[in-house]
Amino acid sequence: MRRNTGVTFLAAGSYIVRPMKATRRLARKRLAKGPHEGVPGQEARGPDERALVEAAQRDPAAFEVLYELHFERVYAFVASRVRDRTTAEDVTSEAFHKALANLQSYEWRGVPFAAWLLRIAANIIIDCAKRAAREFPAPDDPPEPAARLDLQDTEMRAMEHRAQLFRLVGQLPEVQKQVIYDRFVEQRSIKEIAQRLGRTEGAVKQLQLRAVQKLRAQMEGSHG
Amino acid sequence: MAKRSLAMQFDEVVQAMLVSLRPRPEEAPDPELASLTRVAQILRELPREEFRAALKSDLQRRASMSERTAAAQTRGTKEVHYMRPGLTSIIPYVIVRPAAQFIEFLRSSFEGVERMRMPAPDGSIMHAEVAIGNGAIEVSDGNAEYSTAPQAIHLYVDDPDATYARTLQAGATSFYAPTDDHPSGDRWGAVKDPFGNHWYIAKPRGWTPGPEGLRSVQPYLHLREAHKMIPFLEAAFGAEEMGAHKSPEGAVLHATIRIGNATLEIDEAHGEFQPMPCHLHLYVPDTDAVYAQALQAGATSIDPPRDAPYGDRAAGVKDAWGNSWFIATYLGK
Repeated sequence: MRRNTGVTFLAAGSYIVRPMKATRRLARKRLAKGPHEGVPGQEARGPDERALVEAAQRDPAAFEVLYELHFERVYAFVASRVRDRTTAEDVTSEAFHKALANLQSYEWRGVPFAAWLLRIAANIIIDCAKRAAREFPAPDDPPEPAARLDLQDTEMRAMEHRAQLFRLVGQLPEVQKQVIYDRFVEQRSIKEIAQRLGRTEGAVKQLQLRAVQKLRAQMEGSHG
Repeated sequence: MAKRSLAMQFDEVVQAMLVSLRPRPEEAPDPELASLTRVAQILRELPREEFRAALKSDLQRRASMSERTAAAQTRGTKEVHYMRPGLTSIIPYVIVRPAAQFIEFLRSSFEGVERMRMPAPDGSIMHAEVAIGNGAIEVSDGNAEYSTAPQAIHLYVDDPDATYARTLQAGATSFYAPTDDHPSGDRWGAVKDPFGNHWYIAKPRGWTPGPEGLRSVQPYLHLREAHKMIPFLEAAFGAEEMGAHKSPEGAVLHATIRIGNATLEIDEAHGEFQPMPCHLHLYVPDTDAVYAQALQAGATSIDPPRDAPYGDRAAGVKDAWGNSWFIATYLGK
Protein backbone atom coordinates (compact mmCIF):
# COMPACT_ATOMS: atom_id res chain seq x y z
CA MET A 1 0.00 0.00 0.00
CA ARG A 2 1.26 3.39 -0.82
CA ARG A 3 1.59 5.71 2.09
CA ASN A 4 0.12 9.12 1.76
CA THR A 5 2.90 11.58 2.41
CA GLY A 6 0.54 14.29 3.62
CA VAL A 7 -0.16 12.17 6.62
CA THR A 8 -2.53 13.54 9.25
CA PHE A 9 -2.95 12.60 12.86
CA LEU A 10 -6.18 10.99 11.95
CA ALA A 11 -4.68 8.88 9.21
CA ALA A 12 -1.61 7.81 11.07
CA GLY A 13 -3.00 7.56 14.58
CA SER A 14 -0.19 9.95 15.38
CA TYR A 15 2.55 11.77 13.65
CA ILE A 16 5.24 9.55 14.90
CA VAL A 17 4.07 5.98 14.51
CA ARG A 18 3.78 4.92 10.97
CA PRO A 19 1.89 1.92 9.80
CA MET A 20 3.64 -1.31 9.02
CA LYS A 21 5.20 -0.66 5.72
CA ALA A 22 6.39 -2.40 2.68
CA THR A 23 10.04 -2.67 3.60
CA ARG A 24 9.18 -4.80 6.54
CA ARG A 25 6.96 -7.10 4.58
CA LEU A 26 9.75 -7.41 2.11
CA ALA A 27 12.27 -8.30 4.75
CA ARG A 28 9.96 -10.78 6.38
CA LYS A 29 9.30 -12.53 3.15
CA ARG A 30 12.93 -12.72 2.40
CA LEU A 31 13.75 -14.21 5.74
CA ALA A 32 10.87 -16.59 5.90
CA LYS A 33 13.15 -19.48 5.20
CA GLY A 34 15.95 -18.58 7.47
CA PRO A 35 17.07 -19.25 10.98
CA HIS A 36 19.54 -16.71 12.21
CA GLU A 37 22.83 -18.24 13.05
CA GLY A 38 25.50 -15.66 13.44
CA VAL A 39 23.11 -12.96 14.58
CA PRO A 40 24.78 -11.50 17.64
CA GLY A 41 21.50 -10.88 19.43
CA GLN A 42 20.85 -14.55 19.64
CA GLU A 43 24.18 -15.64 20.91
CA ALA A 44 24.19 -12.81 23.44
CA ARG A 45 21.39 -14.48 25.36
CA GLY A 46 23.50 -16.61 27.61
CA PRO A 47 25.28 -16.27 30.89
CA ASP A 48 27.70 -13.87 29.17
CA GLU A 49 24.98 -11.32 28.66
CA ARG A 50 23.90 -11.71 32.24
CA ALA A 51 27.45 -11.01 33.37
CA LEU A 52 27.61 -7.92 31.18
CA VAL A 53 24.36 -6.54 32.54
CA GLU A 54 25.37 -7.20 36.12
CA ALA A 55 28.72 -5.55 35.51
CA ALA A 56 26.94 -2.45 34.20
CA GLN A 57 24.62 -2.47 37.21
CA ARG A 58 27.66 -2.39 39.46
CA ASP A 59 29.56 0.12 37.34
CA PRO A 60 27.63 2.32 34.89
CA ALA A 61 30.79 2.80 32.85
CA ALA A 62 30.39 -0.82 31.72
CA PHE A 63 27.10 0.12 30.04
CA GLU A 64 29.20 1.01 27.02
CA VAL A 65 29.63 -2.68 26.19
CA LEU A 66 25.88 -3.18 26.16
CA TYR A 67 25.49 -0.11 23.98
CA GLU A 68 27.97 -1.48 21.45
CA LEU A 69 26.13 -4.78 21.39
CA HIS A 70 22.66 -3.41 21.02
CA PHE A 71 22.84 -0.04 19.25
CA GLU A 72 22.08 -1.35 15.75
CA ARG A 73 19.24 -3.50 17.01
CA VAL A 74 17.50 -0.69 18.86
CA TYR A 75 18.04 1.74 16.00
CA ALA A 76 16.72 -0.76 13.44
CA PHE A 77 13.63 -1.31 15.57
CA VAL A 78 12.97 2.40 16.05
CA ALA A 79 13.73 3.43 12.47
CA SER A 80 11.17 0.97 11.18
CA ARG A 81 8.48 2.57 13.33
CA VAL A 82 8.98 6.30 13.07
CA ARG A 83 8.82 8.62 10.14
CA ASP A 84 12.16 10.26 9.83
CA ARG A 85 15.80 10.07 10.80
CA THR A 86 15.59 12.88 13.36
CA THR A 87 12.83 11.13 15.24
CA ALA A 88 14.63 7.79 14.99
CA GLU A 89 17.70 9.38 16.55
CA ASP A 90 15.68 11.15 19.23
CA VAL A 91 13.89 7.98 20.26
CA THR A 92 17.02 5.81 20.14
CA SER A 93 18.88 8.32 22.24
CA GLU A 94 16.11 8.55 24.79
CA ALA A 95 15.80 4.76 24.93
CA PHE A 96 19.46 4.27 25.80
CA HIS A 97 19.42 7.10 28.31
CA LYS A 98 16.40 5.58 30.00
CA ALA A 99 17.99 2.16 29.96
CA LEU A 100 21.11 3.54 31.60
CA ALA A 101 19.09 5.45 34.18
CA ASN A 102 16.91 2.45 35.00
CA LEU A 103 19.50 -0.27 34.74
CA GLN A 104 19.08 -1.17 38.39
CA SER A 105 15.46 -2.05 37.79
CA TYR A 106 16.34 -4.63 35.16
CA GLU A 107 15.96 -8.02 36.74
CA TRP A 108 17.34 -11.12 35.22
CA ARG A 109 14.45 -13.48 34.65
CA GLY A 110 15.72 -15.02 31.47
CA VAL A 111 14.20 -12.15 29.50
CA PRO A 112 16.86 -11.08 27.03
CA PHE A 113 18.30 -7.67 27.69
CA ALA A 114 17.54 -6.78 24.06
CA ALA A 115 13.83 -7.36 24.68
CA TRP A 116 13.96 -5.04 27.68
CA LEU A 117 15.66 -2.35 25.58
CA LEU A 118 13.13 -2.68 22.77
CA ARG A 119 10.29 -2.44 25.27
CA ILE A 120 11.70 0.85 26.49
CA ALA A 121 12.01 2.13 22.92
CA ALA A 122 8.47 0.98 22.09
CA ASN A 123 7.10 2.75 25.15
CA ILE A 124 8.77 5.98 24.14
CA ILE A 125 7.21 5.76 20.70
CA ILE A 126 3.79 5.07 22.23
CA ASP A 127 4.18 7.93 24.71
CA CYS A 128 5.03 10.34 21.93
CA ALA A 129 2.04 9.16 19.97
CA LYS A 130 -0.30 9.55 22.93
CA ARG A 131 1.08 12.96 23.71
CA ALA A 132 0.64 14.05 20.13
CA ALA A 133 -2.90 12.73 20.07
CA ARG A 134 -3.69 14.58 23.28
CA GLU A 135 -2.06 17.83 22.25
CA PHE A 136 -3.45 17.84 18.76
CA PRO A 137 -6.66 15.89 18.83
CA ALA A 138 -8.20 15.19 15.46
CA PRO A 139 -11.73 16.52 15.00
CA ASP A 140 -13.40 13.19 15.62
CA ASP A 141 -11.21 11.75 18.34
CA PRO A 142 -9.05 9.07 16.86
CA PRO A 143 -8.66 5.90 18.85
CA GLU A 144 -5.54 5.25 20.87
CA PRO A 145 -2.60 4.67 18.60
CA ALA A 146 -2.36 1.02 17.85
CA ALA A 147 1.36 0.51 17.60
CA ARG A 148 2.29 -3.07 18.17
CA LEU A 149 4.85 -3.80 20.80
CA ASP A 150 4.99 -7.54 20.70
CA LEU A 151 7.35 -8.58 18.02
CA GLN A 152 6.63 -11.81 16.30
CA ASP A 153 9.52 -14.08 15.49
CA THR A 154 9.47 -13.14 11.85
CA GLU A 155 9.59 -9.44 12.68
CA MET A 156 12.32 -10.01 15.20
CA ARG A 157 14.33 -11.80 12.53
CA ALA A 158 13.74 -9.00 10.05
CA MET A 159 14.94 -6.50 12.61
CA GLU A 160 18.03 -8.58 13.39
CA HIS A 161 18.65 -8.80 9.68
CA ARG A 162 18.63 -5.02 9.32
CA ALA A 163 20.78 -4.57 12.42
CA GLN A 164 23.29 -7.09 11.07
CA LEU A 165 23.44 -5.24 7.77
CA PHE A 166 24.10 -1.95 9.61
CA ARG A 167 27.00 -3.63 11.44
CA LEU A 168 28.44 -5.06 8.25
CA VAL A 169 28.60 -1.65 6.61
CA GLY A 170 31.15 -0.71 9.23
CA GLN A 171 33.39 -3.54 8.06
CA LEU A 172 33.44 -2.54 4.38
CA PRO A 173 36.66 -1.26 2.85
CA GLU A 174 36.93 2.44 3.70
CA VAL A 175 36.12 3.85 0.27
CA GLN A 176 33.11 1.58 -0.21
CA LYS A 177 31.87 2.50 3.23
CA GLN A 178 32.24 6.16 2.37
CA VAL A 179 30.17 5.72 -0.78
CA ILE A 180 27.42 3.89 1.13
CA TYR A 181 27.19 6.59 3.81
CA ASP A 182 27.35 9.42 1.28
CA ARG A 183 24.75 7.87 -0.92
CA PHE A 184 22.24 6.38 1.50
CA VAL A 185 22.63 8.49 4.64
CA GLU A 186 23.68 11.86 3.25
CA GLN A 187 21.78 11.22 0.02
CA ARG A 188 24.46 12.81 -2.08
CA SER A 189 24.40 12.52 -5.84
CA ILE A 190 26.85 10.29 -7.68
CA LYS A 191 28.36 13.42 -9.17
CA GLU A 192 28.95 14.98 -5.77
CA ILE A 193 30.45 11.80 -4.35
CA ALA A 194 32.71 11.52 -7.40
CA GLN A 195 33.98 15.03 -6.74
CA ARG A 196 34.52 14.36 -3.06
CA LEU A 197 36.43 11.17 -3.71
CA GLY A 198 38.26 12.43 -6.77
CA ARG A 199 36.94 9.60 -8.91
CA THR A 200 34.81 9.32 -12.01
CA GLU A 201 31.06 8.89 -11.72
CA GLY A 202 31.37 5.48 -13.35
CA ALA A 203 33.89 4.44 -10.72
CA VAL A 204 31.59 5.56 -7.92
CA LYS A 205 28.71 3.55 -9.37
CA GLN A 206 31.01 0.54 -9.48
CA LEU A 207 32.02 1.10 -5.86
CA GLN A 208 28.39 1.38 -4.87
CA LEU A 209 27.56 -1.84 -6.68
CA ARG A 210 30.50 -3.73 -5.25
CA ALA A 211 29.73 -2.57 -1.73
CA VAL A 212 26.11 -3.67 -1.93
CA GLN A 213 27.07 -6.96 -3.58
CA LYS A 214 29.51 -7.60 -0.80
CA LEU A 215 26.90 -6.81 1.85
CA ARG A 216 24.43 -9.09 0.14
CA ALA A 217 26.95 -11.92 0.00
CA GLN A 218 27.79 -11.50 3.68
CA MET A 219 24.14 -11.43 4.65
CA GLU A 220 23.53 -14.62 2.73
CA GLY A 221 26.60 -16.13 4.33
CA SER A 222 25.39 -15.23 7.78
CA HIS A 223 22.13 -17.01 7.11
CA GLY A 224 23.77 -20.27 6.14
CA MET B 1 20.58 -1.20 -28.05
CA ALA B 2 23.65 -1.78 -25.94
CA LYS B 3 22.98 -3.42 -22.61
CA ARG B 4 23.78 -1.08 -19.74
CA SER B 5 26.10 -2.28 -17.04
CA LEU B 6 24.72 -3.66 -13.82
CA ALA B 7 26.36 -0.78 -11.95
CA MET B 8 24.36 1.73 -14.00
CA GLN B 9 21.12 -0.19 -13.74
CA PHE B 10 21.55 -0.52 -10.00
CA ASP B 11 22.29 3.15 -9.55
CA GLU B 12 19.10 4.03 -11.41
CA VAL B 13 17.18 1.93 -8.93
CA VAL B 14 18.99 3.58 -6.01
CA GLN B 15 18.42 7.03 -7.42
CA ALA B 16 14.71 6.34 -7.86
CA MET B 17 14.55 5.02 -4.33
CA LEU B 18 16.28 8.02 -2.80
CA VAL B 19 14.22 10.68 -4.54
CA SER B 20 10.93 8.84 -4.45
CA LEU B 21 8.52 9.01 -1.59
CA ARG B 22 7.27 5.62 -2.53
CA PRO B 23 8.24 2.97 -0.05
CA ARG B 24 9.84 0.86 -2.77
CA PRO B 25 10.80 1.23 -6.39
CA GLU B 26 9.27 -0.68 -9.24
CA GLU B 27 10.02 -4.35 -9.27
CA ALA B 28 13.40 -4.85 -10.85
CA PRO B 29 13.41 -7.25 -13.75
CA ASP B 30 16.84 -8.75 -13.21
CA PRO B 31 16.95 -11.21 -10.29
CA GLU B 32 20.36 -9.93 -9.22
CA LEU B 33 19.07 -6.38 -9.34
CA ALA B 34 16.09 -7.37 -7.23
CA SER B 35 18.20 -8.84 -4.44
CA LEU B 36 20.57 -5.86 -4.48
CA THR B 37 17.56 -3.56 -4.29
CA ARG B 38 16.40 -5.30 -1.13
CA VAL B 39 19.76 -4.58 0.50
CA ALA B 40 19.62 -0.97 -0.72
CA GLN B 41 16.15 -0.59 0.79
CA ILE B 42 17.51 -1.41 4.22
CA LEU B 43 20.50 0.87 3.74
CA ARG B 44 18.13 3.81 3.48
CA GLU B 45 17.64 3.46 7.24
CA LEU B 46 21.34 3.11 8.02
CA PRO B 47 22.12 5.11 11.18
CA ARG B 48 24.56 8.01 10.93
CA GLU B 49 28.02 7.16 12.24
CA GLU B 50 28.23 10.56 13.95
CA PHE B 51 25.01 9.89 15.81
CA ARG B 52 26.22 6.49 16.99
CA ALA B 53 29.48 8.01 18.25
CA ALA B 54 27.87 11.07 19.85
CA LEU B 55 25.29 9.00 21.70
CA LYS B 56 28.02 6.71 22.94
CA SER B 57 30.12 9.52 24.37
CA ASP B 58 27.01 11.11 25.80
CA LEU B 59 26.12 7.88 27.60
CA GLN B 60 29.67 7.51 28.84
CA ARG B 61 29.55 10.95 30.34
CA ARG B 62 26.12 10.33 31.79
CA ALA B 63 27.38 7.09 33.30
CA SER B 64 30.29 8.84 34.97
CA MET B 65 27.96 11.59 36.19
CA SER B 66 25.53 9.08 37.63
CA GLU B 67 28.38 7.47 39.54
CA ARG B 68 29.27 10.83 40.99
CA THR B 69 25.65 11.59 41.81
CA ALA B 70 25.28 8.21 43.50
CA ALA B 71 28.43 8.85 45.51
CA ALA B 72 27.17 12.28 46.53
CA GLN B 73 23.84 10.86 47.56
CA THR B 74 25.40 8.24 49.76
CA ARG B 75 27.18 11.06 51.54
CA GLY B 76 23.78 12.56 52.18
CA THR B 77 24.28 15.56 49.95
CA LYS B 78 23.05 16.44 46.50
CA GLU B 79 25.47 19.26 46.04
CA VAL B 80 26.98 19.41 42.61
CA HIS B 81 30.46 20.84 42.69
CA TYR B 82 31.01 21.87 39.12
CA MET B 83 28.51 24.72 39.41
CA ARG B 84 29.14 28.01 41.04
CA PRO B 85 27.01 28.14 44.21
CA GLY B 86 23.58 29.60 43.53
CA LEU B 87 23.70 28.94 39.81
CA THR B 88 22.08 26.17 37.78
CA SER B 89 23.25 24.29 34.71
CA ILE B 90 21.77 26.83 32.29
CA ILE B 91 21.70 30.55 33.05
CA PRO B 92 20.50 33.22 30.63
CA TYR B 93 23.31 35.71 30.14
CA VAL B 94 21.53 38.91 29.20
CA ILE B 95 23.69 41.62 27.66
CA VAL B 96 21.68 44.84 27.40
CA ARG B 97 22.32 48.51 27.99
CA PRO B 98 22.21 50.09 30.40
CA ALA B 99 22.62 46.92 32.47
CA ALA B 100 22.12 48.84 35.72
CA GLN B 101 18.61 49.83 34.63
CA PHE B 102 17.89 46.30 33.54
CA ILE B 103 18.84 45.05 37.01
CA GLU B 104 16.42 47.61 38.42
CA PHE B 105 13.73 46.20 36.13
CA LEU B 106 14.44 42.66 37.40
CA ARG B 107 14.18 43.93 40.96
CA SER B 108 10.92 45.80 40.59
CA SER B 109 9.18 43.33 38.28
CA PHE B 110 10.35 39.96 39.52
CA GLU B 111 11.62 40.60 43.01
CA GLY B 112 15.09 39.88 41.71
CA VAL B 113 17.90 39.95 44.25
CA GLU B 114 21.23 41.25 43.08
CA ARG B 115 23.87 38.88 44.36
CA MET B 116 26.96 40.20 42.68
CA ARG B 117 28.08 43.17 40.62
CA MET B 118 31.49 43.63 39.06
CA PRO B 119 31.99 47.07 37.56
CA ALA B 120 34.27 47.69 34.60
CA PRO B 121 36.82 50.53 34.86
CA ASP B 122 34.49 52.86 32.93
CA GLY B 123 31.70 52.29 35.44
CA SER B 124 29.65 50.00 33.27
CA ILE B 125 28.70 46.56 34.55
CA MET B 126 31.11 43.87 33.49
CA HIS B 127 29.16 41.11 35.18
CA ALA B 128 26.29 40.83 37.62
CA GLU B 129 24.12 38.06 38.98
CA VAL B 130 20.48 38.45 39.92
CA ALA B 131 18.60 35.67 41.69
CA ILE B 132 14.96 35.20 40.69
CA GLY B 133 13.01 32.51 42.52
CA ASN B 134 15.21 29.44 42.55
CA GLY B 135 17.00 30.50 39.38
CA ALA B 136 19.31 33.26 38.31
CA ILE B 137 20.03 35.63 35.46
CA GLU B 138 23.44 37.01 34.62
CA VAL B 139 23.71 40.53 33.30
CA SER B 140 26.32 42.64 31.57
CA ASP B 141 26.69 45.82 29.58
CA GLY B 142 28.82 43.81 27.19
CA ASN B 143 31.75 45.11 25.24
CA ALA B 144 33.10 45.14 21.71
CA GLU B 145 33.46 41.38 21.78
CA TYR B 146 30.12 40.55 23.35
CA SER B 147 27.40 42.66 21.84
CA THR B 148 24.00 43.31 23.31
CA ALA B 149 21.55 40.47 22.89
CA PRO B 150 18.15 40.48 24.53
CA GLN B 151 16.47 37.11 24.85
CA ALA B 152 13.26 35.31 25.68
CA ILE B 153 12.87 33.90 29.18
CA HIS B 154 10.12 31.79 30.64
CA LEU B 155 9.52 32.64 34.29
CA TYR B 156 7.51 30.54 36.70
CA VAL B 157 5.95 32.69 39.38
CA ASP B 158 3.29 32.29 42.04
CA ASP B 159 1.08 35.10 40.79
CA PRO B 160 1.39 35.74 37.07
CA ASP B 161 -1.25 38.48 37.06
CA ALA B 162 0.50 40.56 39.69
CA THR B 163 3.89 39.97 38.10
CA TYR B 164 2.55 40.91 34.69
CA ALA B 165 1.11 44.14 36.10
CA ARG B 166 4.44 45.02 37.71
CA THR B 167 6.30 44.56 34.42
CA LEU B 168 3.94 46.98 32.68
CA GLN B 169 4.48 49.47 35.46
CA ALA B 170 8.21 49.09 34.96
CA GLY B 171 7.87 49.98 31.29
CA ALA B 172 7.23 46.66 29.57
CA THR B 173 4.73 46.36 26.73
CA SER B 174 2.20 43.56 26.60
CA PHE B 175 2.00 40.77 24.04
CA TYR B 176 -0.99 39.44 25.94
CA ALA B 177 -2.24 39.42 29.50
CA PRO B 178 -2.16 36.21 31.54
CA THR B 179 -4.74 33.78 30.25
CA ASP B 180 -5.88 30.27 31.09
CA ASP B 181 -6.20 29.47 27.40
CA HIS B 182 -2.52 28.95 26.73
CA PRO B 183 -1.78 25.57 25.08
CA SER B 184 0.57 24.64 27.93
CA GLY B 185 -2.36 24.54 30.32
CA ASP B 186 -0.53 27.01 32.54
CA ARG B 187 -1.81 30.48 33.31
CA TRP B 188 0.44 32.38 30.94
CA GLY B 189 1.07 35.98 29.87
CA ALA B 190 3.77 37.59 27.74
CA VAL B 191 5.51 40.97 27.72
CA LYS B 192 8.47 42.69 26.12
CA ASP B 193 10.65 44.77 28.44
CA PRO B 194 12.20 48.15 27.51
CA PHE B 195 15.49 46.37 26.73
CA GLY B 196 13.96 44.05 24.14
CA ASN B 197 13.73 40.89 26.25
CA HIS B 198 10.63 38.74 26.11
CA TRP B 199 9.19 37.45 29.37
CA TYR B 200 6.74 34.59 29.38
CA ILE B 201 5.21 34.79 32.81
CA ALA B 202 3.47 31.65 33.94
CA LYS B 203 2.16 29.74 36.87
CA PRO B 204 2.72 26.02 36.47
CA ARG B 205 -0.21 23.66 36.30
CA GLY B 206 0.28 20.69 34.06
CA TRP B 207 3.99 20.96 33.49
CA THR B 208 6.11 18.03 34.52
CA PRO B 209 9.00 19.33 36.54
CA GLY B 210 12.53 18.19 35.89
CA PRO B 211 14.27 15.76 38.20
CA GLU B 212 15.31 18.55 40.52
CA GLY B 213 12.02 20.43 40.53
CA LEU B 214 10.68 23.30 38.56
CA ARG B 215 13.11 26.06 37.65
CA SER B 216 11.90 29.64 37.98
CA VAL B 217 14.04 30.76 35.04
CA GLN B 218 14.14 29.00 31.69
CA PRO B 219 15.61 30.35 28.47
CA TYR B 220 13.11 30.08 25.63
CA LEU B 221 14.63 29.95 22.15
CA HIS B 222 12.58 30.69 19.06
CA LEU B 223 14.43 29.08 16.19
CA ARG B 224 14.25 28.41 12.52
CA GLU B 225 14.40 24.66 11.94
CA ALA B 226 14.02 24.17 15.66
CA HIS B 227 13.86 20.39 15.25
CA LYS B 228 17.55 20.41 14.40
CA MET B 229 18.40 22.07 17.70
CA ILE B 230 17.37 19.00 19.71
CA PRO B 231 19.94 16.58 18.24
CA PHE B 232 22.51 19.35 18.38
CA LEU B 233 21.96 19.95 22.09
CA GLU B 234 22.03 16.24 22.75
CA ALA B 235 25.26 15.71 20.89
CA ALA B 236 26.94 18.90 22.05
CA PHE B 237 25.84 19.15 25.67
CA GLY B 238 24.39 15.78 26.59
CA ALA B 239 20.93 17.32 26.70
CA GLU B 240 17.82 15.24 27.14
CA GLU B 241 14.56 16.01 25.45
CA MET B 242 11.79 15.89 28.02
CA GLY B 243 8.93 16.21 25.58
CA ALA B 244 8.49 17.68 22.16
CA HIS B 245 5.22 18.55 20.51
CA LYS B 246 5.50 18.66 16.77
CA SER B 247 3.21 19.62 13.96
CA PRO B 248 2.27 16.99 11.38
CA GLU B 249 5.05 18.41 9.23
CA GLY B 250 7.58 17.90 12.01
CA ALA B 251 7.93 21.53 13.11
CA VAL B 252 8.59 21.88 16.83
CA LEU B 253 5.60 23.59 18.43
CA HIS B 254 7.20 23.29 21.84
CA ALA B 255 9.97 21.23 23.37
CA THR B 256 11.49 21.14 26.82
CA ILE B 257 15.11 20.12 26.99
CA ARG B 258 17.09 19.30 30.07
CA ILE B 259 20.78 19.89 30.55
CA GLY B 260 22.15 18.95 33.96
CA ASN B 261 19.74 20.25 36.59
CA ALA B 262 18.05 22.90 34.44
CA THR B 263 15.82 23.11 31.39
CA LEU B 264 15.36 25.30 28.39
CA GLU B 265 12.54 25.45 25.89
CA ILE B 266 12.50 25.85 22.15
CA ASP B 267 9.98 26.26 19.40
CA GLU B 268 9.81 27.07 15.73
CA ALA B 269 9.97 30.86 15.29
CA HIS B 270 6.60 32.31 14.37
CA GLY B 271 4.75 35.63 14.24
CA GLU B 272 6.07 38.08 16.80
CA PHE B 273 8.31 35.43 18.30
CA GLN B 274 11.26 35.49 15.95
CA PRO B 275 14.81 34.25 16.57
CA MET B 276 16.77 36.28 19.14
CA PRO B 277 20.30 34.87 19.11
CA CYS B 278 21.47 35.15 22.69
CA HIS B 279 24.11 34.27 25.25
CA LEU B 280 23.71 31.31 27.58
CA HIS B 281 25.94 30.22 30.43
CA LEU B 282 26.26 26.49 30.77
CA TYR B 283 27.80 24.74 33.79
CA VAL B 284 29.12 21.28 32.99
CA PRO B 285 31.32 18.78 34.82
CA ASP B 286 34.07 18.91 32.20
CA THR B 287 34.45 22.05 30.09
CA ASP B 288 37.17 20.64 27.86
CA ALA B 289 35.18 17.53 26.98
CA VAL B 290 31.97 19.45 26.33
CA TYR B 291 33.78 22.06 24.24
CA ALA B 292 35.26 19.30 22.04
CA GLN B 293 31.90 17.60 21.79
CA ALA B 294 30.15 20.82 20.85
CA LEU B 295 32.60 21.46 18.03
CA GLN B 296 32.11 17.91 16.83
CA ALA B 297 28.37 18.49 16.87
CA GLY B 298 28.80 21.46 14.54
CA ALA B 299 29.33 24.45 16.84
CA THR B 300 32.08 26.95 16.08
CA SER B 301 34.64 28.05 18.60
CA ILE B 302 34.52 31.46 20.28
CA ASP B 303 37.09 30.71 22.98
CA PRO B 304 39.00 27.48 23.58
CA PRO B 305 39.01 26.19 27.16
CA ARG B 306 41.08 28.25 29.59
CA ASP B 307 41.30 28.84 33.32
CA ALA B 308 39.41 32.09 33.76
CA PRO B 309 40.60 34.56 36.42
CA TYR B 310 37.30 34.27 38.31
CA GLY B 311 37.94 30.61 39.06
CA ASP B 312 36.09 28.75 36.31
CA ARG B 313 37.42 26.58 33.57
CA ALA B 314 35.69 28.37 30.72
CA ALA B 315 35.20 28.10 26.97
CA GLY B 316 32.81 29.50 24.40
CA VAL B 317 31.09 28.16 21.30
CA LYS B 318 28.48 29.46 18.91
CA ASP B 319 25.73 27.24 17.54
CA ALA B 320 24.39 27.27 14.00
CA TRP B 321 21.54 29.57 15.09
CA GLY B 322 23.94 32.24 16.33
CA ASN B 323 23.53 31.61 20.06
CA SER B 324 26.69 31.80 22.18
CA TRP B 325 27.20 29.15 24.83
CA PHE B 326 29.64 29.99 27.61
CA ILE B 327 30.71 26.58 28.85
CA ALA B 328 32.07 26.56 32.38
CA THR B 329 33.20 24.30 35.18
CA TYR B 330 33.49 25.81 38.63
CA LEU B 331 36.91 24.98 39.97
CA GLY B 332 36.08 25.82 43.57
CA LYS B 333 37.82 28.24 45.77
